[in-house]
Amino acid sequence: MSTAFCFDLDGTVTTLEILPCIAAELGIAEEIATLTRLTMDGHIPFPDSLRLRALILGQVPAERVHEIIDSIPLEPMLLSFIDAFNDASFIVTGNLDIWVEPLLSRLGCRWFSSKTKQDSGRLVVEHILDKGEAIRSLRREGKYERIVAVGDGANDISMLEEADIAIAYGGVHPPIPGTIIAADLVINHPSSLCTLLKAL
Amino acid sequence: MYPIEGAVIACAGLGSRLGMGLPKCMIEVGGQTILSQLISLLRPWVTRIHVVVGYREELIIDYCSRHHPEVVIVRNGEFRSTNTAHSLMLGSIGFSRKVLYLDGDLLIDRESFEGFLEHAAGCELTLGITQAKSSEAVYVSTGTDSDSGSLEVRGFHRDMPTEYEWANFFVASPALLGPGSKYVFECLAPFLPAATHPVEVFEVDTPEDLDRAKAWVNSQAIKN
Repeated sequence: MSTAFCFDLDGTVTTLEILPCIAAELGIAEEIATLTRLTMDGHIPFPDSLRLRALILGQVPAERVHEIIDSIPLEPMLLSFIDAFNDASFIVTGNLDIWVEPLLSRLGCRWFSSKTKQDSGRLVVEHILDKGEAIRSLRREGKYERIVAVGDGANDISMLEEADIAIAYGGVHPPIPGTIIAADLVINHPSSLCTLLKAL
Repeated sequence: MYPIEGAVIACAGLGSRLGMGLPKCMIEVGGQTILSQLISLLRPWVTRIHVVVGYREELIIDYCSRHHPEVVIVRNGEFRSTNTAHSLMLGSIGFSRKVLYLDGDLLIDRESFEGFLEHAAGCELTLGITQAKSSEAVYVSTGTDSDSGSLEVRGFHRDMPTEYEWANFFVASPALLGPGSKYVFECLAPFLPAATHPVEVFEVDTPEDLDRAKAWVNSQAIKN
């Protein structure tokens, strides 16, 4: 059976949430981490929160953001899995294309992200990814008989709901209760996750 | 290669006959939850353990994230209208060869269990049986296989007391578990006779079972 494996990026493939790391550059890591936590827990709608965070963090030059993201450790077992199952793996992230593109290009798999444009030197969020829609569009391609999704935060819920096998993942921090309710499986360890994914 | 690919522990049930208001696997006996005792028992034998949850799943999910982060939690969202056989089928996700299936309310003697697993390594289907003692036993009739001379299970009976009862664990291929609403032993009945190896097991279904299990765990602690 042909299977697509869809992974959240922040706190799933990366071992840290990316936006608070960028915020450290402006000396507001704690504040953005709080905002990120509130967003992940579903207290603030993801689109509102992302626009606000992009507005603040857009002050950091993109090249510097790339350096920061480059220094964030990736989960090695997930990395190996994505490498081995490159054609079947997808990153599905609400993060901004301008920030995560170099990292995603290095991973070498296909990806879905939120889209931005530059307007008079200002970063403008053009389209915020609905992860559920990303799964639906993947399904419309007709190439995969089964879609597996792995996520941990509020904006992963629609992705998990659309998947055939939904996994709430707590490798970096516990998955929020909403992802557990949307999930078939709860997995807290990267080794257990990758072993199961390979066995499916 | 391990003779057994993994284990599935069914912990989704209501445990209504015991009436403690929490999943039976979360009951502490001898200072440790039944679930932790099962996982510790299985660890030397299997690398992959799936725990199927339903009733008050949040307790088990939180407990496993803190104490057993390596297990895979499988959710049975229909635990109120399905039985253990359905949970075991859900828990089989990603398994294709030989799996050890257990109820999450069992206290099992390590030494005799090791004997069971060694026996199971050479058989397609191996059923766990124990000396009859529980309040609502499913009895098993046994005999000796004429070729191997080994003990085998030949039938399950509700109303005909025998020396042994069904111990609610077995080793089999996931293909044996189909959809339906039967009890686990009813799903296995068409495949009898089947290999077996008696194990000292205490199942906790009723308050009386729990008292017996606690007394046994205490006696083991004194012995050791």
